[in-house]
Amino acid sequence: MKFLSIFALLLFVATPLAGFAAEDDKVHQGIFVENPGTDLWRDVRQRNFAMEGSSQVKSVDSNILINPQGDEWARFRVGVLVRFASITLVIITGLLLLHYVTGGRMKIEGGRSGRVLLRFSDFERVAHWTLAIIFLFLAITGLMLLFGRPVLIPLFGHELFSLLASASKEGHNLIGPIFLVSLVLVLVRFVTRNIYASGDLNWLLKGGGLFGRSHVSSGFFNLGEKAWYWILILAGLVISVSGVILVMPNFGQGREIMEMSHKVHSIAAIVLIAVSMGHIYLATAGTEGTLEGMKTGYVDLKWAETHHDQWAQECQDKNLTISSEEFARLQGKAVDKSSTVAKEQG
Amino acid sequence: MSESLERGLNKLRSQIDPQVRSFFSTCVHCGICAETCLFFTETRDPRYTPIYKTEPLRKLWRQEYTFWGKLAGKLGITDPLTEQDLADWETLVYDGCSMCGRCSMVCPLGIDISKIIFKVKTGLATAGYSPKDLAETTQRAVDIGSPMGVKIGALQAQIKHIEDDINLKIPIDVEQADYMALLSSMEIMYFPEYISALAQIFNHAGVSWTLCSEAFEATNSGLQIGNTEVAGVLVERIVAGAEKLKVKNVISPECGHAYTAIRWEGPNFIGRPYSFKVVHILELLDELQQSGRLKLAGMETERLTFHDPCSIVRRGGIDSEPRNLLRSFTENFVEMTEHGTMNWCCGGGGGVNSNERAEPVKLQAFNRKKSQLDELDVETIVTSCSNCRLVIEEGLEANDMDINIVGLTEMLAEHLVDGTAH
Amino acid sequence: MGSIIDGSLWYFSLTVFVIGVVWNLVRIVFGKRKADFSIPRDSAVAGALRTLISRFIPDRHMLPRISLQVVAGYMFHLGLFVLLFFAAPHVRFLDEHILGFGWSPAPHWLFIVSAQFAFLGLIMLWLHRVINVVSRLISDRGDHIAAILTFVVMLTGCLALLETFNELRLLHRLSVELWLIYFPFSRLMHAFTFVPSRMFTGAWFGRRGVGS
Repeated sequence: MKFLSIFALLLFVATPLAGFAAEDDKVHQGIFVENPGTDLWRDVRQRNFAMEGSSQVKSVDSNILINPQGDEWARFRVGVLVRFASITLVIITGLLLLHYVTGGRMKIEGGRSGRVLLRFSDFERVAHWTLAIIFLFLAITGLMLLFGRPVLIPLFGHELFSLLASASKEGHNLIGPIFLVSLVLVLVRFVTRNIYASGDLNWLLKGGGLFGRSHVSSGFFNLGEKAWYWILILAGLVISVSGVILVMPNFGQGREIMEMSHKVHSIAAIVLIAVSMGHIYLATAGTEGTLEGMKTGYVDLKWAETHHDQWAQECQDKNLTISSEEFARLQGKAVDKSSTVAKEQG
Repeated sequence: MSESLERGLNKLRSQIDPQVRSFFSTCVHCGICAETCLFFTETRDPRYTPIYKTEPLRKLWRQEYTFWGKLAGKLGITDPLTEQDLADWETLVYDGCSMCGRCSMVCPLGIDISKIIFKVKTGLATAGYSPKDLAETTQRAVDIGSPMGVKIGALQAQIKHIEDDINLKIPIDVEQADYMALLSSMEIMYFPEYISALAQIFNHAGVSWTLCSEAFEATNSGLQIGNTEVAGVLVERIVAGAEKLKVKNVISPECGHAYTAIRWEGPNFIGRPYSFKVVHILELLDELQQSGRLKLAGMETERLTFHDPCSIVRRGGIDSEPRNLLRSFTENFVEMTEHGTMNWCCGGGGGVNSNERAEPVKLQAFNRKKSQLDELDVETIVTSCSNCRLVIEEGLEANDMDINIVGLTEMLAEHLVDGTAH
Repeated sequence: MGSIIDGSLWYFSLTVFVIGVVWNLVRIVFGKRKADFSIPRDSAVAGALRTLISRFIPDRHMLPRISLQVVAGYMFHLGLFVLLFFAAPHVRFLDEHILGFGWSPAPHWLFIVSAQFAFLGLIMLWLHRVINVVSRLISDRGDHIAAILTFVVMLTGCLALLETFNELRLLHRLSVELWLIYFPFSRLMHAFTFVPSRMFTGAWFGRRGVGS
């Protein structure tokens, strides 16, 4: 009995070499002893698919002793996925740096006008930054989990990484579902302005004015921004749904679905992180005056004319632009005498 | 530091009581009060946020009553309250606040913001930071006895007119009358109908009443400017008059801030309770109506609404009385969407209307009332405050709106069975 | 370090918190107030109790203009309340270290959902504070410190959810201790002072016969 179990174990360990073992059998044709465990283990692990048996334990996948796809998933996880993620992130970082150092930063044509117009309401900005904060948290914790073996363990060692991984996983799982909520807020709030409009294609053909100095006409959002919006929404929804499948394993989903969800989740997340880096770059270092719209809600009229001339024209037609003095008043800064309110010490 | 600033700061310090401490340590700066304030909603200027108007007192509280303020003081990094601060807040507090108290109704933390704003006013007034116009009316009230300079002679002349007109005697200086009526200068000068209405109603209901030649003015500029000493002097005059005539009750006129001054703050200004009761004219009229002493005839048919004067309704609790009275002689009384204790102010209370400098912002604030009225499409506005009435008249005119405005008491007088009613 | 966080610093912070809160409240509730000589129209006590309750409900007409503060505010406060008093590890902690008795905790899913509500609410409230011109103008350093400190307490708690790593537990406890020490000197006091504030105002309105 002892011999049998050791033999079975050896056979199990040698499974990946099973193909070679079969040929060896032909060479050493001595006394052929039928291993009583062979059929059992062959049945247990049928190479390419998980075989079902029966078990006293009644739960999802409890009848499957070995899941061969798990190996495949694990290889994907530490190999392809990590390579794909690192290459993607390095390339996008390089491209953005290249754009910046080659003088790609887009200035406001003709300088500021001193007149401003409202671009984003309070609620829109709160929705945007809520999504942004949650996204950044999830991206950081997610990447920490993804790059544990290749980057963090060599850096911090196993002990500290196990702690970081636990913290990241718990944080990622708890905050994750809120992402969906904030995504829906952004989806609902911005959807009407992100529908394809005539003229958008023209913007695309001219490369969005990203390269060179040509003036490209656009409405409230240009096609690039619309594309970003839809990538965010679609990838975001895919990430959310697959994330919920992963974080709540109580809907009867088995390993196969979980593995699939994880692949989809991580690939979509890498794509979204990469595109978001482009978004962050363009909104901050890449263009002058864009971030103001998300900070104060107001942008300079010249900025609007540079990037969204049709929208700027509409606002001017409706007389919606205000002077910088009026803007200062609306910000609570308009005082005849120079007055400052002391801020609390502490 | 100038002497007046020092006095102002001391006044402000004396205003920091347990309530103020509770209020300031409770405020989480959520900004909800801004949306209750018509000066903010109509201008969108965040400096009109009610709690922001209390900043001078808050700054002082922070420095002298909180751990961090004291710590900073020890380290020599204080940021003291300056003349400039007081000058800046003078315009915010006097021109941009009608003391309507709407913010105090809505604060989720329960902070009585308008009460703190009044405390700020007392400090500003003491330091000499108050509008010129208000300071002048206050001086006139002390010197002459009326903020508008109305002397007893002018009142007597009006009374003569009225007596001829309605053929009734208006009692003056009658001792031991049940009620001593007070008036506001505005009523004497612009709305004498109020006086004739009083005479007719009291005659009809058999109420024993009198005016007092030494104390007929009910308004209190001391309250408006935030000078509690002057407020006390003005209240003392009424108390002396009432005590001299040995009356049982004093009637506050329709005027809103007069009611606050004589009914609620008066005893505190003079530091002792009265020997008589104070009732608002609407309370008295409602009581007469409930007890069947008013026989009314005829119903007003036009579509009309009631404008709640803040000091009387939101800060005075006289909410159901005007509505009971109105329903007894009108057929088509409609309410504004936000009415009663959540009514929007006319924009001219708290001394704003007596402050020439505040005229533009007052008219801007009136847009709130305008949009309330636009929703209703009424022919007539009834109110019970001569100040609201003046402000609304002015606002209606500036906006080319064709709506009548009348006082509730005089409208009721027109429906008395034996009155001069149509 | 761990023994300090679990020991002396814990007792110190708890002492500062309890004494600070009680002292603040005593000064507010028993401080000398001027008598009101006017004759009341109605009951001050009834008014105080009415306002204490009524201010939980925002004004109907105001609601559309303040919906963000109200919705996020309720999400945060209710979430934090459930989280604080009904999360299993907290109930256990209160039982073992402070009260000596416990109660049945909320199920794990409710604990997690309430934490999510609290996080989303707090993030949105703080963003509203820095984005909305009114709240930006009236907010001061104390508001931001209070918000960020509370966020850190919640975040470290969330990171320590697995309850396996002592370091993470200590980090959470340390942030709680800093929060407790800061509490009586800060805006966080509103968690207690809203009661006297509402009652003062309610009593005032009550005397005047105003339904507030």
